[in-house]
Amino acid sequence: MDCKTAQNLLEAYLDNELDRASARELEAHADTCADCSARLGQLDELRRALREPELRYRAPPQLRERVRAAASSSGQARARMPAWTRLAAACVLAFGAGASSIYMLDSTRAAHEDLTHDVFAAHWRALAATSPVDVVSSDRHTVKPWFAGKVAQAPLVRDFAEQGFALAGGRIDYVGSARVPVLVYRHGQHLIDVFVLPIPASLPNTAQREGYTLTATTLGAQPAAIVSDMDAAERARFADLLSSPSAP
Amino acid sequence: MNAFVDDLAQRHLDAAYNLGRWLLGNEHDAADAVHDAFVRASRAADTYAGGNARAWWLAIVRNCCLARLASRKREAQQRHLSVVQTTAPLHTDDVEAGVDASQRQAIIAAQLRALPEEFREALVLREIEDLSYREIADVLGVPIGTVMSRLARGRALLRRALGPAHTQETAHGL
Repeated sequence: MDCKTAQNLLEAYLDNELDRASARELEAHADTCADCSARLGQLDELRRALREPELRYRAPPQLRERVRAAASSSGQARARMPAWTRLAAACVLAFGAGASSIYMLDSTRAAHEDLTHDVFAAHWRALAATSPVDVVSSDRHTVKPWFAGKVAQAPLVRDFAEQGFALAGGRIDYVGSARVPVLVYRHGQHLIDVFVLPIPASLPNTAQREGYTLTATTLGAQPAAIVSDMDAAERARFADLLSSPSAP
Repeated sequence: MNAFVDDLAQRHLDAAYNLGRWLLGNEHDAADAVHDAFVRASRAADTYAGGNARAWWLAIVRNCCLARLASRKREAQQRHLSVVQTTAPLHTDDVEAGVDASQRQAIIAAQLRALPEEFREALVLREIEDLSYREIADVLGVPIGTVMSRLARGRALLRRALGPAHTQETAHGL
């Protein structure tokens, strides 16, 4: 790892946000680089100072009591409501439901946008981190068990080296608040991330950011998203390979 | 449904209050903002769409704090007062008082208080509340990249501000 890359990753390293492979590379670099180890020391000192317990304000007992009182009084109010107020409340609720479904539409669109952004951001972070994989292997029998202990459902892992898309390994990334498995392939100079998504994840069929393209596909029965800077023809070929029925 | 919010608020009441204190600067406003947030969260429990519940709760707390800050600024403008002074007064008394470790803490607290809001809140959530980048992004409603750059900028500003107290390291570091 060169010094410039290391400098950019120092904070993510201290914040525990680097994948293990990059963290190890950064440690190896800092061992031999006086500048980076000095900066690491300074950042760590600042962090320890900010984490002194005296800097954290505790909720005063009166506030805790006030919240508890508010919680129980709203509970009692619901229980004690006379019939006509319940009817009125039902009207308000019905109105509220209409309003909240409009809100939901808006928030679905926003969530859509957020997830798309997450997928691109994760891909870019992986590219910046010099090693985009946590488990480096071209052997699907190594990659699949590695996922098994880390995500609810280990994805279908296949190597397409013969077709020009070699399996490079895998990692775990975040999409929204879900931890998802990511399969990493190489095609010539291109790095390809395949995000294997939980069933309800809603992503657009295709999206573009800064020269990178997201393409929706399926991997076995699971929805997946391919992110890469390949051209359209290669993307389509790779998507077909992924969604093709697996050979026994 | 509301039992969920009650439990969530009680469990993360310190986190909520701490965020409120650092954003609003005093006990009274922070407590009121957290109370507002609790009422709002109870009413909006059905908008919780899964995911990180602490981040959802802290996002509501933050909104209530920002609403208070905004009305405070409006009042200040009506009274033709400086807006800057109302947000985060730097308590120089704190800095002078105490010795050694407690003095250092007071200096750090004063400098953190003096940071612009966007860097202060990111640092409070990251260092004091120990939230991940993803959680901070959810609370602030910004992309993770923005969280990273705000943290980096906030840390750089703090380190610069703390410079004189760190003469031993910075003397040759700069």
